[in-house]
Amino acid sequence: MIPFLTYPLALIALAALPALAAIYLLRNRFRKRQVSSLLLWRFRLQSREGGAKVNPLQLPLIFFLELLALLLLVTAATGPHWNLAQGSRPLVVVLDDSFSMQALHEQRSAQDRAREALEKLFKQQAPPSTRLILAGVEPRLIGGTARNWNEVEFTLKEWRCLAPVSSIDRAITLASEIGKHEANILVLTDHPPEEKKVANERLHWRSFGRPVDNVAIVNASRTAFGEEDRCLLEVANFSTRTHSGRLAVRTGSNQVQQTTLTLASMERQRFVFNLPRSENLLEAALAEDALVADNQIQLLPPIRKKVRVQVVVTNSEAAELLERALDATGLRSSISSNPELVIHHSNASTGSNAWILNWHMAAEPKAYTGPFVIDSSHPLAEGIGLQGVIWAGGAVTNSPGEIPVILAGNVPLLSVREDLSGRRFVTLNFTPELSSLQRAPDWPALLWNLLQWRISETPGLSEPNVRLGSDVILKTTGGSVVVVQPDGSSRTYSETSRQIALETPMPGLYAISWQGRTNQFSVNAHAAEESNLRSCEPGQWGEWKSDMTSRYEQSSIAWIFALGAAGLLSLHLCLLANGKGGN
Amino acid sequence: MDPSIQQALREGEMLGGRYALQIPQVAATGQVGSRLGRRAGSSIDFQDYREYQPGDDLRFIDWGIYARTDRVSIKLFREEVTPHLDIVVDGSSSMNLENSMKAAATAKLSAMLSVAAVNAQCSRAVWISGNGFHRMPNDTLSPAGWERFDLNSTRTLDEAYEILPPKLKRLGVRVLISDLFWPGNPVQTIRRLREGAAALFVIQLLARDDANPPENGSLRLVDSESGETVELFVDATIRRQYSENLAQLQQSWDDACRQCGAHMTTIVAEELEEKLSELETIQLVVPA
Repeated sequence: MIPFLTYPLALIALAALPALAAIYLLRNRFRKRQVSSLLLWRFRLQSREGGAKVNPLQLPLIFFLELLALLLLVTAATGPHWNLAQGSRPLVVVLDDSFSMQALHEQRSAQDRAREALEKLFKQQAPPSTRLILAGVEPRLIGGTARNWNEVEFTLKEWRCLAPVSSIDRAITLASEIGKHEANILVLTDHPPEEKKVANERLHWRSFGRPVDNVAIVNASRTAFGEEDRCLLEVANFSTRTHSGRLAVRTGSNQVQQTTLTLASMERQRFVFNLPRSENLLEAALAEDALVADNQIQLLPPIRKKVRVQVVVTNSEAAELLERALDATGLRSSISSNPELVIHHSNASTGSNAWILNWHMAAEPKAYTGPFVIDSSHPLAEGIGLQGVIWAGGAVTNSPGEIPVILAGNVPLLSVREDLSGRRFVTLNFTPELSSLQRAPDWPALLWNLLQWRISETPGLSEPNVRLGSDVILKTTGGSVVVVQPDGSSRTYSETSRQIALETPMPGLYAISWQGRTNQFSVNAHAAEESNLRSCEPGQWGEWKSDMTSRYEQSSIAWIFALGAAGLLSLHLCLLANGKGGN
Repeated sequence: MDPSIQQALREGEMLGGRYALQIPQVAATGQVGSRLGRRAGSSIDFQDYREYQPGDDLRFIDWGIYARTDRVSIKLFREEVTPHLDIVVDGSSSMNLENSMKAAATAKLSAMLSVAAVNAQCSRAVWISGNGFHRMPNDTLSPAGWERFDLNSTRTLDEAYEILPPKLKRLGVRVLISDLFWPGNPVQTIRRLREGAAALFVIQLLARDDANPPENGSLRLVDSESGETVELFVDATIRRQYSENLAQLQQSWDDACRQCGAHMTTIVAEELEEKLSELETIQLVVPA
């Protein structure tokens, strides 16, 4: 209870209490009066309101009720507050879920220390309710509202510190929203806040990290390079001294490379090498150090997709232009049966699921030198500049439903339409005789875009190697998809649409099964910011208790007194109504 | 004597000059005096004739009648008497109620009646109750000369009567001045006083506080006679009940007076001079 009488006016109001007492005392004070005889003052009946012989110190019950009610009202007027203990506020804990929390120092990780600190906090002063938020790639609430440490501990099993980044700021925002700006927020992480002076007075930031040395693979890729795969590995030394170690690269049981590293402080080094495309899984590993998660990577062979193209063009010159450009892309399959893309001169449907490129060659073309209006966000327009290009085409307008991608004024030169089944119909308004497009780099680029767009829309994975936390896009034709994660757990997506985004919560190899096919993709934890532990620092920032917090934490209990006064006055009224208040 | 009582006696004396006691016919008896009695006497007022009887005073023989009729007749004259007034004053302490005009009014009323009796050529006596009834010394003198007028007895009128009754004159007029505030049988009291009297007048003299109950509030009531106290919270109910008790008391005395042929009136002490007409109403006094 804070000091009771903090309001001068209420203190003055207390004068009402002795005033009431004085009123009653004066009212009940017996004035001496001599009468001729008491003969006339002897009554058979006593008055209801008074008249009964009373003792001098006896006061009616209503006096005490009024006195008490007045006391309660005055107390309520003083604005009494109950000083809530710190632990009596709800708590929202923001847990740094990035993998840097796994960094070991003296055989204990920042996560371990944070967990112990949280347990200690609960033992000292357990909050009435606790919510936990994982600050990973996206802030995420885990578990329900925990009432005790056991429930919190159970929920903490989901805190595995595998994310490549920690969205602590957004997690704090979410915590404020959940706590309706009244709950205490505790951040458990391994690094200090960006601003050491925490402005949020309800935020307490605790860091358990240590600025330890770490060498990490911060970048890795494996791309198709002709008939081989080109691999890139980037190793960084996030330490204050020169590091010497080994980088072991192997595919299966074959040792591909055994490189001795000598990296100066904060130096990065890249390793680029080719692999035969027949090699399946490539694994690279560094010697163990403080942070294990970034010491190894796994790279699967790149996905080599090609498009089966059928060219049905009667104009021989045009056909030659097409063939040369398609071959230059390297994305055309040698097989043309069961085509995925058909190029011809008419709008006639082929009756299959193939995409259609309708090359319209006008009888009376007009040559356009620009300016051209290009929808650069469209996949077909990627890298298309049309600088100095003369594009000849018929002065036509686009058909209903067609979306122009390239225009010359109001004349569509390249437009796209999609039917209900997802097939794309591309219309190319191009007459080579009066054009220079076919001699410009934009021509093969245009066809490369077309084939690449077609590839991206074919069922299957978009890429086999992704960074931890990134979504993996899987194109399907419906049906269920089963994803088996590196830890063996599986997740089933039933009745998917044509595209689903698969989460990658942990590094390792993922297996997906869909429509009788099985694919793999690899997720690698390489994030330079998380691997750099030099910025980690133990400490505490921000306090839950401040002047404003202190005021806020004193919940008003005036309503209790007001309610009590109302009850007493009701009783007072009943007594008066029943005529029992006199004595 | 209390100066206020002395002043009241003087004022009563002056007030009594305006009135004369109204003597009822039955009261026209008494010692030889200056007032005509109802019997034959020696006054100069002729009343009747009768036959001479041996022993009659020869001076009253009407010789003229004897000369004309040869019969000896005697002239009868009205006798001259002095009627009497007994003023019986309740000497209890209640008649000397503090913060009231009750004592002064008692003295003033007694003095007034005494002078009115003088104006009516009546003898008078003033009796005050105490430990018995005592005649006030010098009550035959003018009221200003009265030596004592003590209203401090703790005994009721009935108790005093039991101890030593007043020597009231037969066929005299009697006036009782009292607040009548004592328990008992009013009929008995009135009958005692009425017995042998030509007339009895009961004047209930109340203080204004007696007639009107006090305002609301807590009161410690002290009996002026016994000193007994009662603590009460006076409210409208109590006030109403007091008034009812007073009315009931007055009614019982009034009934007793009617029963015994007495006359009763009530006068508030503080309004004495304004209410003297009440005395004329009950035919106790007449304007002089």
